[in-house]
Amino acid sequence: MQMLYLGLAVFLLLNLLAGLWRVHRGPTAADRMLAALLFGTTTVAVLLLLAEAMGLPALRDVALLFVVLAAVIAVAFTRVPRRFEKGEE
Amino acid sequence: MALLDALSAGLLLLGGLFFLTGTVGLLRFPGVFDRLHALTKADNLGLGCVVAALILQAETGWVAAKLVLIWMLALIAATVSAHLIARFSLRARGGARRTPP
Amino acid sequence: MIDWTFDLLLAGGLLGLAWQIVASRILFRSVVLFIVFGLLMAVTWARLAAPDLALAEAAIGAGITGALLLSAYRALLPDRDDGGEGGSPPPAVPPWAAVGVAVLVGVLIAGIGWAVVGLEPPEQTAGRLALAKLEASGVENPVTAVLLNFRSIDTLSEVVVLFVAFLAARVVAQDLVHAGPGDWLRASRREPLLVQPLIAFIAPMTVLAAGYLLWAGASQPGGAFQAGAVLAALGVLLRLTGRLRPTEETSLPERLVLVGGLVLFSAIGLASAGVASAVLEYPPGWAYELILLIETALTLAIALPLVLLFSGSGGLRGEVR
Repeated sequence: MQMLYLGLAVFLLLNLLAGLWRVHRGPTAADRMLAALLFGTTTVAVLLLLAEAMGLPALRDVALLFVVLAAVIAVAFTRVPRRFEKGEE
Repeated sequence: MALLDALSAGLLLLGGLFFLTGTVGLLRFPGVFDRLHALTKADNLGLGCVVAALILQAETGWVAAKLVLIWMLALIAATVSAHLIARFSLRARGGARRTPP
Repeated sequence: MIDWTFDLLLAGGLLGLAWQIVASRILFRSVVLFIVFGLLMAVTWARLAAPDLALAEAAIGAGITGALLLSAYRALLPDRDDGGEGGSPPPAVPPWAAVGVAVLVGVLIAGIGWAVVGLEPPEQTAGRLALAKLEASGVENPVTAVLLNFRSIDTLSEVVVLFVAFLAARVVAQDLVHAGPGDWLRASRREPLLVQPLIAFIAPMTVLAAGYLLWAGASQPGGAFQAGAVLAALGVLLRLTGRLRPTEETSLPERLVLVGGLVLFSAIGLASAGVASAVLEYPPGWAYELILLIETALTLAIALPLVLLFSGSGGLRGEVR
């Protein structure tokens, strides 16, 4: 079981690193952002697997924090409607 | 016990498969909306499978509850993020009327 | 063997990301890669069995700093059409110089690492002493024991640093040109549909999570810094969606919160000089309660400056909708 957890974690990490290519390419800002935001999901999965594999239940709290913060990042990215950018603060 | 382990292993592999399809979709699909669609659905399903596998292995009910909570919050965060990004891209292309389906 | 693969991939990913962040020509790409870097750093801390650091990295590195950089990016390029594909000017340093310096630094670090690895571990380390005295500290989490009891002077200094950073930011802050409504407020139909439900759900959740981290910090990874960072992330979210408006003046409750942590910590520390034997030493038997009290004040005293630094204002007030 242990091997399976770590093996899947390695696989997910590879997925994450592969997805970085999309961040590199773009072509639009939304492409980069969506890749980054959804890496959050992969990272949560990796953290949960590590919590099991390493026997650190505190890592589940870290995963909990991550999902809450993913929403903050999404809002930070899309915050300003462009038409309102000049003249608003 | 062996059945539980086998079930967990199967769910973990399934989750990995879903994550793989999500990544493939991210890299190969043309256009923001296709990628967004693929990534949101596949990755969250993958996470669900992984969480399900870990719930089967959880020591206490509290741990299982926390895992479920994490998954639900991940769904909510992904929903809102996808909605916001899609809206953003839509406006970048000039609005719903000018975007081909 | 598999964990070596994981660690190597992680290390390689971090290095590659770091290089791309600095070398990328497209500024927005660097910002996004920095957020991903924060994600991988948190995983690294997790791999190093340091959940406290992973918690702090998740909240501050991925959350607050990411939002800060995105806001800064938007302020830099307001006229971009699709949200920014701006280029940056070509680097001023010739490549051969950069490579030369990189090689030198790499050799230096490798040399230091080789020397350190070859050293004998000392007999009596501070860490082992601390672990031995854990029961006397009043808490079970060794990190909290060190931060709030054995080395509380450091924590006190850190809170001072944060406060001074806030003051420094106020000194150099520009006037708030538009201290008016938040960005989405006036035409509420402009705000995306899901934002209000998100806030309605996430805000209580986050406060609960912060409280949980604060309370659990005594016996498992958590504590004042992590709880404060989580609250600050919530503050950032509220500021971004216009529920909190920036104001020039710092109101009285805000001033109380800003200095409260510092004052409480110092007061307890000085008072203990009379009751216990030394300054910043807790009277025996009271350690746990006092630590919890101090941590509560510190949580707020950490969260508020972070949010104010993010919004660049002297204060915040709620927006009635």
